[in-house]
Amino acid sequence: MHTGGAPSILTGTGPSTPVTSSPSTTSPAKPPTGAASSAVGTAEQYGYGVLAVKVTVQGGRITDVSTSKLQTAEQYSQSLAQQVIPMLRNEILSAQSAHINAISGATYTSEAYAYSVQSALDALGVK
Amino acid sequence: MIVHAEEVMGTVVSFHVEPGECPAVEAHTALEAACTRLHELDDIFSTWKPGSALNRFRAGILRLPQAPPEMALVLELCDEARALSQGWFDPWAMPGGFDPTGLVKGWATEQALGILELACVESAMVNGGGDIALFGLPKNAAAWRIGIRHPWRPDALACVLKADRAVATSGCYERGPHLINPKNGRMLFRTASATVVGSSLPLCDALATALVAAEDAGPELVRSLDGYEAYVIGVDGEEDATEGIVFATEGVR
Repeated sequence: MHTGGAPSILTGTGPSTPVTSSPSTTSPAKPPTGAASSAVGTAEQYGYGVLAVKVTVQGGRITDVSTSKLQTAEQYSQSLAQQVIPMLRNEILSAQSAHINAISGATYTSEAYAYSVQSALDALGVK
Repeated sequence: MIVHAEEVMGTVVSFHVEPGECPAVEAHTALEAACTRLHELDDIFSTWKPGSALNRFRAGILRLPQAPPEMALVLELCDEARALSQGWFDPWAMPGGFDPTGLVKGWATEQALGILELACVESAMVNGGGDIALFGLPKNAAAWRIGIRHPWRPDALACVLKADRAVATSGCYERGPHLINPKNGRMLFRTASATVVGSSLPLCDALATALVAAEDAGPELVRSLDGYEAYVIGVDGEEDATEGIVFATEGVR
């Protein structure tokens, strides 16, 4: 969730408008056996631009994760744009199923907390 | 278990407290005291509150002898962290003047945990906006399991690590490019996320900030520090970890 903290010092390098979040699709519905289906996740502001991740599911398993949308500021070269495509293909883990006690990440704002995994863990109040 | 979320320091600090033998009333009192302390430290070190001691100190209006004693202590901690990070964490090299934010949040979170620890609760976890201080063990578990946020997906984890005292993570994905390379002023990094595990949360916090700036040199820097481990994710998604990082693999996925 983008919270309006647009980059101020690197003027103009961030997206000019906040990202509109679409419903998250981290757990795509299981397709009919054998058929592949894809779902695009929430578009995210990630510091250098905006991207969303496309998850392809086949037979109830994630078979591919790719970047479906990538917008970077014009100041950045295309080579940099290619450089920042996330590649953690084997490391897409569901926070809901990992039985974690807490989540560590770059400091979230008070507004972003409401959408954070930590707030979900706090709401659960267990584990 | 007592769970509480306190809005302070521009973020939310989460508490998970297992009182154990400690009477619930005392545990709640300690929790309140911990929150009070966080607000006190925020009043001193906020860079957003115009009248904060830090802002008056930076402006030269407030001299160190007249400042709250915490100021001298934080200056000392910052100096130490700068040396240990080989200059990659440098609060004196910030564009707006001395800015200890990269250490103070971890330090404040650790103090909040210390108050609970003194109250003799069985175990506690304090998460200061992503910087985590731990004490004891979670109920029915042999270790704390800390999810490391995926840098590009707020609802996903990059991995799960085991820790027993402190974990801090830095990156530009949550608040945009606010970090700076103290050695050349650059604000673009090949490191998307840097996590440091160790015993002191303020040092973990400072080192995590340092590691984003240090890019490829980061893990080697942490290898030189006894008791500290690092896990980093590059902007290309490449992961690197020092040898002592313990990944939790059971029950994941």
